[in-house]
Amino acid sequence: MLVFRSEAHVTNWLAGRPAGATISIGKLAELANAWWGTRLSPDWRPRTREESQAILDRIGLIGPFWSLG
Amino acid sequence: MDQADIDVRNATYRQFVEHGRVPTTAEIGDALGLTAAEVLSTWRRLHDAHALVMDADGVILMLNPFAARPTPFVVEAAGRSWFANCGWDSFGIGAALGVNTVIRTTCADCAEPLTIQTRDGLPLDPSPVFHVLVPAVQWWDNIGFT
Repeated sequence: MLVFRSEAHVTNWLAGRPAGATISIGKLAELANAWWGTRLSPDWRPRTREESQAILDRIGLIGPFWSLG
Repeated sequence: MDQADIDVRNATYRQFVEHGRVPTTAEIGDALGLTAAEVLSTWRRLHDAHALVMDADGVILMLNPFAARPTPFVVEAAGRSWFANCGWDSFGIGAALGVNTVIRTTCADCAEPLTIQTRDGLPLDPSPVFHVLVPAVQWWDNIGFT
């Protein structure tokens, strides 16, 4: 889970390996806010896989790559 | 994970954020009226439940999104520098603390320094990108690599 200057740098870094998924850091920030926003809440409870999947879905990260199983 | 486990988990996170380091089993035990051995066994259950990450020796490595050891992802937030476990977690620290941040890392390809400021949870410069190599279903197979 790495950060790159641009998509061209991702391609260069992969050096022919199969790519995973590339998203903008704006989308990443949106995901992080939804995923980690309650991490320090006194009311924190563990999320179910379905609840985590719902976050990914809501952010628009859908498809087999983003499936938690 | 029962309420007693969650209480240990919350106390561990709370003390980590308060002191900027992983608390000892004795410190958590003192706060909750538990023995150090009880805290350690709870931490192991929390590790198994993916609520924190320990190594084989019982040392906490990750209180996600916070890293307990130096990493290439440094986050300035709430008057302190933190380490994040990865690019995702680097944005998670500001989200968890509810504050603006400055994320300092390097491009994983060319090693050019990247400084990303966030305001209200969003990056001021949206031009960098984030790459996830491992499919979601495999993230916890080897969380260190992920």
